[in-house]
Amino acid sequence: MLLIFLNHQWKAFWRSKNKGGTIAAQIFMGLMVLYLLALALFVGFMLKHIVGSLFPGKDVMLVFNGFILYYFAIDFVMRMQLQDLPTLSIVPYLHLNIPRSKIVGFLNVRAAFSAFNLFPLILFLPFCSTYVAQLYGPLIATMYSLSVISLCVFNNYAALYIKRLTIYNTGLIFIVMGAVAGVALLEYFKIFSISAFSNRVFSVVILYPVVALVFPLMATAVFWINARYLRNNLYTEELRSGEEKKVSTDYPFLGRFGEIGTLAALELKLIFRHKRPRSAVIMSLVFVLYGFLFYKREVLDKDVFGMMIFAATFMTGSSISIYGQFMFGWQGAHFDGILVNKTNFRNFIKAKFLLFTISSTCITLIVSLYGLMSWKILMVQFAAYFYNVGLGTVIILYFATRNYKSIDLSKSAGFNYQGVGASQFVLLLPYFLLPLLIYLPFQLAGVPYWGLACLGLIGLISLSMRRFWVEFILKEFNKRKYKIAAGFRELS
Amino acid sequence: MILEITNLKKIYGSRTVVNVPYLSVNEGETIGLVGNNGAGKTTLFRMILDLIRPDDGQVLSREENVAAGDRWKDYTASYLDEGFLIDYLTAEEYFLFIGGLHNLSPAHVLDYLKQYEEFFNGEILNRGKYIRDFSKGNQNKVGIAAGLMQHPDLLILDEPFANLDPTTQIRLKSILKSLKHNRNMATLISSHDLNHVTDVCDRIILLEKGQVIKDFRKDENTLRELEAYFRSNLLD
Repeated sequence: MLLIFLNHQWKAFWRSKNKGGTIAAQIFMGLMVLYLLALALFVGFMLKHIVGSLFPGKDVMLVFNGFILYYFAIDFVMRMQLQDLPTLSIVPYLHLNIPRSKIVGFLNVRAAFSAFNLFPLILFLPFCSTYVAQLYGPLIATMYSLSVISLCVFNNYAALYIKRLTIYNTGLIFIVMGAVAGVALLEYFKIFSISAFSNRVFSVVILYPVVALVFPLMATAVFWINARYLRNNLYTEELRSGEEKKVSTDYPFLGRFGEIGTLAALELKLIFRHKRPRSAVIMSLVFVLYGFLFYKREVLDKDVFGMMIFAATFMTGSSISIYGQFMFGWQGAHFDGILVNKTNFRNFIKAKFLLFTISSTCITLIVSLYGLMSWKILMVQFAAYFYNVGLGTVIILYFATRNYKSIDLSKSAGFNYQGVGASQFVLLLPYFLLPLLIYLPFQLAGVPYWGLACLGLIGLISLSMRRFWVEFILKEFNKRKYKIAAGFRELS
Repeated sequence: MILEITNLKKIYGSRTVVNVPYLSVNEGETIGLVGNNGAGKTTLFRMILDLIRPDDGQVLSREENVAAGDRWKDYTASYLDEGFLIDYLTAEEYFLFIGGLHNLSPAHVLDYLKQYEEFFNGEILNRGKYIRDFSKGNQNKVGIAAGLMQHPDLLILDEPFANLDPTTQIRLKSILKSLKHNRNMATLISSHDLNHVTDVCDRIILLEKGQVIKDFRKDENTLRELEAYFRSNLLD
């Protein structure tokens, strides 16, 4: 039975709808994982030398012992955020003649197939079987290995169990995060040290190897608790990753824009009621911090704004480029509905412009705080802002009419390459390169400020031509709307 | 009694979606569940199939609580919606999988499917298509045929006639009738098509806002009575 389930999972993976378009992305991800695994393997075998050179003079075993629980503490936090719950795939099996215990067994086995479970083994086991074995003999090496494997299992099922509980009780996530933050703070203020604790635990294991059996016991207990919880709660309604509450319904501010405002409000709802666009927007806010990387004192003093323009374009237009690059695709699932409805497409496109302008303006206001570092930054940013709202939006929307891939809204944005095609990468190039191209001749001619002025001016001129641009995008859109709709239908 | 429901309740927020103090289904009975949208038909089915946890009460299938054991799965087959299908399999793969669960050999399954060739109308088997790429009507056919293949004593279908073409609707009705007579299979069907329900079923249960408001044997007046009920809703 288990084999049949796994066989189905395998088929589901290979027959997944998005596979065709993203095979390159998958190969890329695969290579990344392989690279990381190779790295882990290398580190695993070379741990002795690495510790020796990083902490010269320190006892290798001491560092290693301190590292084990530290690693698993971080591992646990990572799992809480990144590891997926294998749940929804069981729906078609629930009504069939399959005992519940087998479905639970499948869920548990399935959960073991995670890269998270591979890394610690590759990282620690080589060291345990070589260095520890040489130093303390096979028994203690075995106990070390057993501890590592058990901790891995423990983390795996504990994280899943807590995640499942949080579906029921959202408050729990704050308790867990609070506890993690508490431990982190204690560690930071050197009140409680995980590594010291880890050290103490494993020095006991070296003296009394039997103590290590605590870890497999813990792992078994968590596995059992998790399995029991699943058996008692095997209702998809309850296992689903949290029923979403209705959020933010009205945007009275947008009401004054008439139909354009209504369409913009519709899109805002789309953003805030789905995981992926929401995380795309949150991600674009995180990029506000880019300034700290690019706005360097020496660059400011020398009046070389090239890289700063890049960063400023990216920040002030982050929502435009990150959200906008999949434009129309967000609405892929109901695109036919938009087409058949009495939507004025001129307004439809104007609504996108409106949204871009509002979001870019807000972000520009936020990043204006960088102006406290230097007034030059303000100049660069406003030039970039005018470029973004004036011309950047046009470029993005033009390429959007060439995007035939819809976006699955329910998935999160991180490491998600669904709907990403070559056009997305191509589109970002002119968008980012154009401001640099405009600016560069002035830089070479030794009048960088004129370059900024020119960039801003081009943006403003383009902004004043918006009516023309709307017609232009509309024409492009009408040319390809059947192809867009057909593409969305295929994938959604 | 193949099903015995006592004091069954499901509440979402402040709304009681299903509230059935008592309901029983005898072996071999064909029951039609009718009621407007939101009457609780599908929710009731889901609780019978242990897909939703009731807030109160229980469903006994041959004297065993469905939430407590798996024995009822041996003789119960169901098809409520496309979520029941494993949509990345081809139809054959799906049938073989279901057959395997009931210890039917692949040869047996393929042989069994032969009798449904007419029902499938040449659109299901050997098409090299995944179930997800079928039209809704054809997905429906796969689900229903997979249910029938399990030789159930209790068959639960949610709006089986929806999305089916008229010819297939008639075929499905004759299949259900013959199975009832030949194998004494109990059937629970929900439908919005009063003609079909009164044609196939020998007992009708009328649900409104989660409550059973009528439960009666079918006779020649049933169709008219049901139509009168639904029309009276219109006037309110």
